[in-house]
Amino acid sequence: MPRLPTSLLRKAYAIDSLLPPLLGPCRDLNSARNELRWLREHVDKVSRARYTKGGSSAKGGLLRTLVRKRVSGGKPIGAPLQYGLGTEYFGDLEIEVRPGVLIPRPETAASVTHLTRLVRDARELPTELRILDLCTGTGCIPLLFHDVFYSVRSDVELRFLGVDISSKAIALANRNLQRLRRSKKYVHKGVTEFMLADVLVNPFADRARRPDEPLPLKSALNFNKKRVFWDILVSNPPYISPSAFRTTTARSVRGFEPRLALVPPGEAGRSDTEQGDAFYPMLLVAAIDAEVKIVLLEVADLDQAYRVARMAQGMQVYDGIEIWRDQPDQAHDGSSQPSSEFPIIGQGNGRSVLCWRGPGALWLGKNNGEASNAGPLVQKPYSELDSVSKPEAVHSSLHPESFMQMQGGRRNV
Amino acid sequence: MQRLVPLLRLPSLRRSAPILGLRQSNIHPCPRLFTASCRPAAKNLPPRRVIHDSEIEENFLKGSGPGGQKINKTSSAVQLKHLATGIVVKYQDTRSRSLNRKNARMILGEKLEELEKGEESRVRVKAREKSRKKASSTKKKRRKYRGLEGAKDEVADEEGLEGVEESAGTSESEAKDLAKDGTAGKAGGAG
Ligand SMILES: C[S@@+](CC[C@H](N)C(=O)[O-])C[C@H]1O[C@@H](n2cnc3c(N)ncnc32)[C@H](O)[C@@H]1O
Repeated sequence: MPRLPTSLLRKAYAIDSLLPPLLGPCRDLNSARNELRWLREHVDKVSRARYTKGGSSAKGGLLRTLVRKRVSGGKPIGAPLQYGLGTEYFGDLEIEVRPGVLIPRPETAASVTHLTRLVRDARELPTELRILDLCTGTGCIPLLFHDVFYSVRSDVELRFLGVDISSKAIALANRNLQRLRRSKKYVHKGVTEFMLADVLVNPFADRARRPDEPLPLKSALNFNKKRVFWDILVSNPPYISPSAFRTTTARSVRGFEPRLALVPPGEAGRSDTEQGDAFYPMLLVAAIDAEVKIVLLEVADLDQAYRVARMAQGMQVYDGIEIWRDQPDQAHDGSSQPSSEFPIIGQGNGRSVLCWRGPGALWLGKNNGEASNAGPLVQKPYSELDSVSKPEAVHSSLHPESFMQMQGGRRNV
Repeated sequence: MQRLVPLLRLPSLRRSAPILGLRQSNIHPCPRLFTASCRPAAKNLPPRRVIHDSEIEENFLKGSGPGGQKINKTSSAVQLKHLATGIVVKYQDTRSRSLNRKNARMILGEKLEELEKGEESRVRVKAREKSRKKASSTKKKRRKYRGLEGAKDEVADEEGLEGVEESAGTSESEAKDLAKDGTAGKAGGAG
């Protein structure tokens, strides 16, 4: 990194003696001023809370400690500001973060918000809509879906299950749920749960499982008596390959965020790229098992998006597959749109892959499930597939179990 | 099932404590119900300029370089460019990107309206009304304040932050609620 000009440091010092150190991680004066202001606001809040509890309210010391952490953090580069402040914004939500659990990213919030808005605007939805979030981390995805959906619409019961292999993540996700439930704006509808499980292991692998290891997803669903069938599957799994971790991943991410959340585990005979992609085949199988109608998977870039889209195409069940960029709600400028095997939506880096089938098309506002914008995909209409492979699901949108629970009643789509 | 009409909601007011702190007391008496009667002062103001998505280019997630899990930036800056006039509004004062977006849109709306309607714009009408009402001592104080803040954030003009809106599609009654007086346009304060 280039050294900061002395004139800039001097200028910063003239404004506030705590600014020059923050210029290190921030690089420019405006960002440094913003960070310092946020840190101050945080310190004010903390000391007010302490004061009302009868403690002392020494602000200066706390502020200096936070600045020091941000700047050195005991490592060559400072810790992420969000770990110091304890929260990060995700859409309109303030989500609690902790070292050991990945800090939610704005790109994820943008795709989840876009998906939720599409579904929210659907004319007809099942009376209960089930959303499975694999690799949930802080729980930010289900919590944001809930927020965006219920801010406008309340005729649907949303059921969420967030799954993670890390008990730290599950504890934090539950904490975030409790925290939001206490806030005034929370709409008390639907069910949100989190569950410990491993989405990568095959339950039939003949590898011995240690007793303290989390159960494979399917076994965990059964064991915890969770629903087996879901409508939407969302996942932001670890997707960075080992070489990309070394070369294109920011130092503060490498140094402070959990590798478990970023890089899929290696396996003998796996190439670097295959390792980066390791979660997607398992997620796509889980999507089939759960009979979901919409799948949204986050990816690292356009190349990975293509690989994942092709994997999904290979499952031969989807009526449509498209790739979303960072800002899927923005019209692309049209200038540099390469002719592509899959439609590419929005602006920015390739960020996620969306697949749908059957009623999923309607929930997304696609024209009657026509495969019109599914590009050159040749796919059987869902109803046909249904009669071949799933004789029990004549009403393609009914979960067999809820169908029984409701005596064929209200899950009409 | 029916299609819902996504109007008349202003969830952001309740979530926006960090920058709206100053305004909270103003908002308090009528937190949820947005009718004209709630804010009689806003009655004579021209309607808020609605910004359509097609009019602007919005930039907040850098398109170049890696993103997603690979980086973790704290900047939640939002930049709007109005395509027809080339006016650019950048907003980065809060940690919440969605709040920055809303504020940027509102500021752009006011700039455009002023440009399009001149003396008849909300900003001017309000300013005139206020200068009539306010005592001169208050005025002096404000001028000094503005002088201090203006250098830092030229877009957060006098009423830049008086409220927030969900999106371009602000309904009229919401707009009226947002209208109010314009005292708190200074959340751009430095640390
Ligand atoms: C990139 S983070 C995403 C967290 C959150 N969904 C978000 O968007 O901020 C990936 C998450 O996957 C979890 N994870 C890693 N390996 C897993 C596995 N085998 N099964 C389930 N979860 C796993 C990590 O603990 C981490 O929380």
